[in-house]
Amino acid sequence: MKRAITAVLGLGLAASLALTGCSSSDTPETMPTGPVSITLAGWSLSTTPEFKTLADGFHTANPNITVELKEYDASNYDTQMTADLAAGSAPDVYVQKNLKMFYTYQAGGQLLDVSDVAKGLTSSPGGLSGYQVDGKTYAIPYRQDSWVLFYNKALFDKAKVAYPDGSWTWDKYAEVSKSLTAALKTAGSKATGDYQHTWQSTVQGFALAQTPGASLQSGDFSYLKPYYQRALDLQTAGAQPSYGTATTNKLTYQAEFGKQQAAMMPMGTWYIATLLSQQAKGDADAFDWGLAPAPQFDASTTGTSATPVTFGDPTGLGINPKIKKEKVAAAKAFLAYAAGTQGAKSLAAIGITPAASAAVADDFFGLKGMPTDDLSKFAFAKHDTKPENPVSKYTAGLQNVLNDLHSAVLSGSKDVDGAIGDAQKRAKNEVLNS
Amino acid sequence: MATLLPAPARRRRTVWRDTAVGWSFILPNFVGFAVLTLVPVLALFYLAFTNWNVFGLAEWTGPANFQRLMHDASFWTALRNTLYYTVFHIPLTMVASLGLALLLNRKLRGVAFFRTVAFFPYIAAIVATAQVWNMLFSPEYGPINHILHFFGFSGNPGWTVSADGSMPAVIIVGTWREMGYYMLIFLAGLQTIPGELYEAARMDGANAWHRFWTVTVPSLRPTTFFVTVMLTIGSFKVFDLILLLTNGGPGQSTLVLSQYIYQKGFQENQFGYASAISIVLFAICFLVTVVQFLVNKRRNA
Repeated sequence: MKRAITAVLGLGLAASLALTGCSSSDTPETMPTGPVSITLAGWSLSTTPEFKTLADGFHTANPNITVELKEYDASNYDTQMTADLAAGSAPDVYVQKNLKMFYTYQAGGQLLDVSDVAKGLTSSPGGLSGYQVDGKTYAIPYRQDSWVLFYNKALFDKAKVAYPDGSWTWDKYAEVSKSLTAALKTAGSKATGDYQHTWQSTVQGFALAQTPGASLQSGDFSYLKPYYQRALDLQTAGAQPSYGTATTNKLTYQAEFGKQQAAMMPMGTWYIATLLSQQAKGDADAFDWGLAPAPQFDASTTGTSATPVTFGDPTGLGINPKIKKEKVAAAKAFLAYAAGTQGAKSLAAIGITPAASAAVADDFFGLKGMPTDDLSKFAFAKHDTKPENPVSKYTAGLQNVLNDLHSAVLSGSKDVDGAIGDAQKRAKNEVLNS
Repeated sequence: MATLLPAPARRRRTVWRDTAVGWSFILPNFVGFAVLTLVPVLALFYLAFTNWNVFGLAEWTGPANFQRLMHDASFWTALRNTLYYTVFHIPLTMVASLGLALLLNRKLRGVAFFRTVAFFPYIAAIVATAQVWNMLFSPEYGPINHILHFFGFSGNPGWTVSADGSMPAVIIVGTWREMGYYMLIFLAGLQTIPGELYEAARMDGANAWHRFWTVTVPSLRPTTFFVTVMLTIGSFKVFDLILLLTNGGPGQSTLVLSQYIYQKGFQENQFGYASAISIVLFAICFLVTVVQFLVNKRRNA
């Protein structure tokens, strides 16, 4: 371990000597007329078609510009990208896989100012504000997933419970989950009312986004309490598999929902593409499903006349400051394409939620296997999506503290109040003071 | 004077040649070691006194990282957990591997098969075995709790998903995984003990227990020392097992030093601080090993 760390450190140290910051250009950037190629980072290219879709679409629109893909490992993307950036071998355009790392790249001077691209966009893509620091924009979002509620219509019918109608608060959700579990048991099914995946986001993401006044940086985590109490209650009632069972057996959310083990599941909209393809291939059962807005903190944001509050981090594209000067214009044009309507449409065609989601709802729901009811369309198109990882120097550290809280509370190792107290103390002494 | 010159010159030339030959023998290995281990380790000692965050320059902060360590409750938790693991893992693995070695050091049918079986956990992929152990430990559906219930045990230990059970679970798996490797070393040690010693002891009327304590244990001392040193260093550096089995949780109940280094360095990009913790871990391993060598030397004297 120590060796691995130091190897990267040594590499980075050597490279940082060669790194001399980005030079500001006085000459205006012009679109190239001859053939140009820019490189783009992506991960798991065979199972993640979005990078190729964008690259090919852009090439068709601008035949003289070729976008070459450079593949990275999905789970070690940021570690590998960090090493490549420090070594000066990173691609011209690279993806901001999550907001947690954006701060590191931006503060480390690894992102070119792309405010002019943001200004030129005709539609305003969701999640753009997450990439703005001191009035400047450092990355352009091309996809923005938001958390919604997936539900299995077949299991609801079997249990004779009414479908979600967009008016749910979390208390209502818990109540329905319990009655679903009981009714499904009577009907001879082993499925549970809901499944909550083991990630900290499934509880904390909603709590942070929906609770009025909640803030990660405040170091006051009392806003988590009602959300954890509800999760524990559902777990004790048997309405969702316990955290212990889900972690030790490595339950996957794709199987829990796709194989009809649970009637409801809060999950990000990225799961739509997976579910469609798994149903088409037979990896998931064939059943009718629908989308509903995420359950809300209180009644003030429920109903189809209000805008439901949920969370999700954008995925964006940023430009490596070490890009050759003559390629900058081409790279910026690619960012604008990916975030614009054309890019959005091509992404929607492969089941991915583009940042400009409202503009493509019709394309999206035209896909084979998509639900067609109005609530599903509403859930997909309308929501106030807050970032799960607000950009700050403390976010990564605070999220680690809260991840410990998550496993301690849901495993029953600590009571909610005690765990929140500990986390607040740790946040104050170990993260917010550095 | 001039007539004396050739002799030292020739000697100097032979010395130089011997040195060159010597260097050329160790060079292939040494270059790799220097580039991939030595230089990064030296860099580590520098980085521990800076606030380096991967990009940009490493700013010299003096002992600030170490002062921060003193007041970092998570660091102390990680240190406590590492000691907890070490204190139980070392003796348990020693006893288990020595027991296995004694058992498999006799002439019995299929001994090669059993030796292979005992060695198997060590070569099996840790990612796969951790997953299987996690399922075995599953509180509600796992076979381990079912067996405990069968024998009348009424509780339902949470093992890897409870604050009290997670460390014992990790220690059990750690012991299971490593006992085969140390068994092999003990077996080699056992086979160097001359049979005459046992024969003589038997003549003097020593029973099996006496023979074990008066012949086997003293004759194995060099092996035992080696195993202790390796086990100690291995226990302090435990990482992959814990990352895969519990990921340090639930809460911080199985957070160990090497994982804390990983968290601070690769997740939070505080490479300076992570380097400082690495140095503390290095110092602990170094000190404990030195003490073990000193104790061993005095015993042999």
